[in-house]
Amino acid sequence: MSLEIKDVEKLYKIVSTDTVIHALNGIDISLPAGKTLGIVGESGCGKSTLARLVTGLETPNRGGITWKGSPIHDVNKGSFSTKKSVVQLVFQDPYSSLNPRQRIGDAISEIITVHNLVAKNMVETRVSELLSLVGLADDLKNRYPHQLSGGQRQRVSIARALAAEPSLLVLDEPVSALDVSVRAEVMNLLLDLRAKLGLTYIFISHDLAMIRYISDLVAVMYLGKIVEFGSWEQVINDPQHPYTQALIQAMPDHTVIGNPESLAKTLEGEVPDPVNLPTGCAFHLRCVKATPACTVAAQTLREISSNHLVACMEA
Amino acid sequence: MTQPSLLSVKDLGISTVQDPRTLVNQVSFDIGLGEAVGVVGESGSGKTLSALSILGLLPRGVEVVSGSVIFKDKNLLTLDTEELRNIRGNEIAMIYQDPMTALNPVMKLGKQLLEVIASHGGINDGSQNQVRILLSEVGIPDVNRAMESYPHEFSGGMRQRIMIAMALLLSPQLLIADEPTTALDVTIQQQILALVSEARKKRNMSMLWITHDLGVVANLVDRLNVMYAGRIVESGTVEEIFRKPKHPYTAGLLSSLPTSTGTNRERLTSISGVPEKPWLVGNSCGFAARCSRAQARCHSEIPLTVTTDSSSVACFFPLGGN
Amino acid sequence: MKNKEIKSKGALHYYLQSTSGVVGAVLVLIMVIVSICSIFGITPYDPVEQHIDNILQGPSVHFWFGTDDFGRDVFSRTLEGMRRSLTVSITAVSLATILGVTFGVLAGYVGKWFDQLVTRVSDVFFAFPAILLALAIVASLGNAWYDTALAIGVVYTPIFIRVARGPVLTVKEMDYIKISRVLGFSSFRILRKHIFPNVFAPIVVQIALSLSWAILTESGLSFLGLGTQPPTPSLGLMVSDAQPLAAFAWWTLVFPSLFITIVVVGLNLVGDGLRDALDPARRSS
Repeated sequence: MSLEIKDVEKLYKIVSTDTVIHALNGIDISLPAGKTLGIVGESGCGKSTLARLVTGLETPNRGGITWKGSPIHDVNKGSFSTKKSVVQLVFQDPYSSLNPRQRIGDAISEIITVHNLVAKNMVETRVSELLSLVGLADDLKNRYPHQLSGGQRQRVSIARALAAEPSLLVLDEPVSALDVSVRAEVMNLLLDLRAKLGLTYIFISHDLAMIRYISDLVAVMYLGKIVEFGSWEQVINDPQHPYTQALIQAMPDHTVIGNPESLAKTLEGEVPDPVNLPTGCAFHLRCVKATPACTVAAQTLREISSNHLVACMEA
Repeated sequence: MTQPSLLSVKDLGISTVQDPRTLVNQVSFDIGLGEAVGVVGESGSGKTLSALSILGLLPRGVEVVSGSVIFKDKNLLTLDTEELRNIRGNEIAMIYQDPMTALNPVMKLGKQLLEVIASHGGINDGSQNQVRILLSEVGIPDVNRAMESYPHEFSGGMRQRIMIAMALLLSPQLLIADEPTTALDVTIQQQILALVSEARKKRNMSMLWITHDLGVVANLVDRLNVMYAGRIVESGTVEEIFRKPKHPYTAGLLSSLPTSTGTNRERLTSISGVPEKPWLVGNSCGFAARCSRAQARCHSEIPLTVTTDSSSVACFFPLGGN
Repeated sequence: MKNKEIKSKGALHYYLQSTSGVVGAVLVLIMVIVSICSIFGITPYDPVEQHIDNILQGPSVHFWFGTDDFGRDVFSRTLEGMRRSLTVSITAVSLATILGVTFGVLAGYVGKWFDQLVTRVSDVFFAFPAILLALAIVASLGNAWYDTALAIGVVYTPIFIRVARGPVLTVKEMDYIKISRVLGFSSFRILRKHIFPNVFAPIVVQIALSLSWAILTESGLSFLGLGTQPPTPSLGLMVSDAQPLAAFAWWTLVFPSLFITIVVVGLNLVGDGLRDALDPARRSS
């Protein structure tokens, strides 16, 4: 009983320059309910596109996404007849995530009143409940977004998403735009909510440390494909794909000090271009282990140990 | 400190001009010859303004109200425009988060770089070659073609390299870097950090690196200053700060950061509240409101900076005792 | 959801801090009172009544603004002229606002071929100088005040399309709009509650400015002989009629011109004040 993403492809055609952006090139994911999937990758890997597809903002060109067997779009739209939404979303930017002209209380209660999720006289109480759930004071109800800090706004975004009573929450870089000293609080809030409400998370980030902290499963993406997939221990402590290894090596780590050699093993080459996909394996141009065979055949995920998948023949 | 200082900032104070609000308060730090110093802080800590004031680049509406910035026996804050201009680019160079602030979008690269040399009166027959060698050193492929290209033809990472090349052209003695890698992908960031590290060591150049990312400075600088609400709350070697932080803010910050390695997933300890605004601090420790160790004194007096050997901390009740 | 009222109260507070805004509002208010007097017939004399014994008399206790070449009281005529100018202007701008904002917001939000269509049609209108276009329309329609209002309204619709469309394009991309879609809100709700409140500020400013331009256009049209016909007073017509008289009967030209100036300047100042009051960038939290 879970989220199934099967063979999903997504293209964007730019008419003016007659180019095609290959945002997602065949994504397969199976995520059990109640688990957290961390998706990590850099620019052009397609993680934000995947977020948009899972939440139904856009539809894939090929393949499908289902939740507990039903296609996600029908589930998300049609489910309003059952008055519960399956998937909700929290974005990165706390400043554009809230309508500047809408009070906090109204922002949170809007979904509740529009879909009659609780009785009219209970709406106020429900909003208070949600605010308290995310650790915000009740008097914030009447404030406007510009009166709140970035961290508070993110919590409001979370409360608003929870107001729709989702089973799956997609979080796209939820703490990246927050001050460093504020991030831990929001991360811990997410952990607590997950335990309390039994939520399934898809947590998207470029920050491997955050991914490691919150995820059960981790998917590493590169140029529209998943290059490695497994439990967090497998992927982060025993990475098999050269890109995952390079990514881990490149992450700034404050626990490793005074080691100038750590800067020596850098990954060469440029950020990949989703318009001009390389032939064969998308990573071969930057890969230290690349062989001539890598330029020919695109790599598919294969299992190298229990439930640990890698898309590389040199792994 | 046995090394002579190349740059010595003393009691620097910066405020807004209209209805004065303190933004930077009594900031002091030194940078030695060939030394790399980091300044770490969150938004509003005053780290960027402190750096900008060194080269007289404060934005409109903000001014230095006290203190001195001594660079090789000259107080940069008192120099006139012409003298300061001689130093900028020549003896002290700066790189930023957005390389497009340094690059002219309508001028070919080669021309721009030569212009830097020319503006300091050093242009000669060898200049073109000098530029080529430098572009090659920072990792620009096909240098000849690059010289004839425009900035928008390069990727973000490449533009950063170009900006670094521009900064290094006149072999400055001090490089100031204001979050130059914050907007870059992690693997590209690593390339830039490696490049800067190499270039710095090769030239025995001093460096002032501003960032909010503790992980970035861990292997980049020798010493670190931690800023909070416009003041420096702790300074020391990277080893001292990371392994044995004395200030509750530093310690709190470090334990709120998740690590990217290891098998342990301990719950992060968070610091409640939000970063304090420098002008609201007044006569107290800026961190008192969020500090678990705060006592009455912290709310009514400014903590003195206590220096032991190479480190110092501004706290009445530092970790590890006085 | 009583948000809008509270928000406007905040805006009123800022508006009152703008000197130009307050001055403008006062000037416009005076002219509105003047017009209301005219509507209820509270003028010293009937504007079309001819006092043959008092032709071309200068301002006096009996005739505050003097009389014209037909012996008509200039003051009464000016009041009625102002009322007619404001009526036409308000009607025209109301029409332009309703049409323009509807099409502009829809074009911006829906995009694609509809947006292309609306933009191209607006561009055609923009290619013509406003007054020429108004002239052409009035010439083909007729001289009643509502024909003039219709002509000006049609001519000003493209401006409102543009002023409404631009901000919609920006706001549409904001995260809170995307989240509204994920929350399953209907497009109608999103437009009403999330897009419109965030784009109405420039529209309001444009209304004030357009009101002033409309008065000038109406005056221009009647000055040229289209629009209001004699003996009905119209500010533009009065200025036109005063041309041969101005040298020796300055009051026939000065007072109508002065009133036009006051109301136009007033509306422009109101526009400035509104812009300052509604621009969130000028406020601190």
